[in-house]
Amino acid sequence: MRTRPAWIIGGAAVMLAFGAWIVMPTVGRADPNGETHEDDKGGHAHVPAPLEYADAHVPLSVWTDTAMIARGKEIYATKCAVCHGDAGDGKGPAGVALPLKPPDLRDKAGVAEMRDNYWFWRVSEGGQAEPFKAKGSAMPPWKADLSVKDRWAVMAYQHTFSGHSGPHVPSEHPESVQVGRDIYAMACVMCHGADGKGDGSVGGTLAPRRAPQPRDFTQSEFKFRSTPSGRLPTTADLFRTVTEGVRASGGPLTFGLRGYRIMPAFRHMPEAQRLELIEYVKSLNSAFWTRLGTSTEPRSIETIKIPPSPPPTPERIVRGKQLYADAECLACHGERGRGDGPSAPTLKDNRQLPIEATDLTKPARFKNGSRPEDLYRTLMTGLAGTPMPSYGDALEPEQAWDLVYYVLSLSGDRRRAADAR
Amino acid sequence: MTKLAVALAVLVLVLAAAADADEAPISGTVKAVDGAAQTLTLNVTAKGKTREVVVHMKPGAKVVKFTRATEPGKTGFVEQEVALADVKPGWIVSATTKHEGNREVAEVVNVVLER
Repeated sequence: MRTRPAWIIGGAAVMLAFGAWIVMPTVGRADPNGETHEDDKGGHAHVPAPLEYADAHVPLSVWTDTAMIARGKEIYATKCAVCHGDAGDGKGPAGVALPLKPPDLRDKAGVAEMRDNYWFWRVSEGGQAEPFKAKGSAMPPWKADLSVKDRWAVMAYQHTFSGHSGPHVPSEHPESVQVGRDIYAMACVMCHGADGKGDGSVGGTLAPRRAPQPRDFTQSEFKFRSTPSGRLPTTADLFRTVTEGVRASGGPLTFGLRGYRIMPAFRHMPEAQRLELIEYVKSLNSAFWTRLGTSTEPRSIETIKIPPSPPPTPERIVRGKQLYADAECLACHGERGRGDGPSAPTLKDNRQLPIEATDLTKPARFKNGSRPEDLYRTLMTGLAGTPMPSYGDALEPEQAWDLVYYVLSLSGDRRRAADAR
Repeated sequence: MTKLAVALAVLVLVLAAAADADEAPISGTVKAVDGAAQTLTLNVTAKGKTREVVVHMKPGAKVVKFTRATEPGKTGFVEQEVALADVKPGWIVSATTKHEGNREVAEVVNVVLER
């Protein structure tokens, strides 16, 4: 009889545990697959905006433009507040019953972590984009209903809930690029330096006293771009460079890098991490935001359009050969494309470092890629900071393709030129 | 006697928790409306999977949307009832449904977006 209290307490504990187990959301009921509503911050998730939205940064003046904020308030009241709440607390009448709650936009830390391109992506695509779709987000996509400016206006108004009054950029919110900064510290800092100025301790020893040297991310000169000469690259350009690395001859320290590279290819790094890294790199240069103009005079990012590649016919290659001579490519690259033209020994980059003319008979060594579209892009944009000029104003697209296929034919692998389509 | 009362109280708590556990929030896009059967078929996505869920309207259940208060001096939203027959495919709705037998039963369905 003396053990009865223990039995009762034990039994009660078991029953409580059983009750708790029942209370836990289970799989296969009204909430399919047992969504656990784990996000106290609602639908917010720390993922980078996908490449197609990565350049959708917001002009700096949008965040503080009173007219823009007033316009955003009107739109918010009619389209957003029903879920997000008039106070931005995520407790609008239609939001409280949602399995995935709207975020609390008054949460300073949560808002600070949202990058502007991520925010624009969320407003544009709503819950139709992953990973939010998979989480069961009910957020509608607004890109069909709201113009770009209207979406900026909504964001500017939503931003006021956080209490932050300046532009919503990484320089104001370093935590928004913290993940990228950590990756940079592990993978890039040795060559590109702690401040991204291309002055890392190892960088200068990769190709001693000659080009190429690690990029200075704080300057606006980038070799590999799809943008016109003198412009900053797109995020997709940076992504391509991070993914493919940079091919060039280097000193002994580059022997371990695969495929004749001076910068390693990071294609095995998860895509999300590469995107985070690039967001950090962009944060080192405010020109990635100032290039977008202002709230009243926004500017879009101009890129070189690459038309579909035509068939590499013998006639095209003959025409390309003539263009190769007319455009004086042979002065640097040599008559047979071996990088031994008369000007080659004297070539220097903009840091006055000797630079090699690319040996066009070895496509695997082309810095900006060796696919026909890569060559087309290189011809039309040039390689900033090197003697390779842009032919964007000098060549028609058909002529550029002629030259592309002639250059590919120099490798002696005509099948490559033909198959490259 | 006291011990028995404590045990009964625990049992009541457990049963109440179990009853509450049968409720779950759900949201999705309306695929079909069946006025005769008083059901809404929703496309619901969660954890990477999309499936159809048939929500049965409990007798006396209502569909509501939220509109801005128009009375002078009032702000915020007011509830406005919508007939089930007026709900259109493509609308986004949410509800808290109860699992009864093999059916998901709702007392209130909230319209999130009409489109």
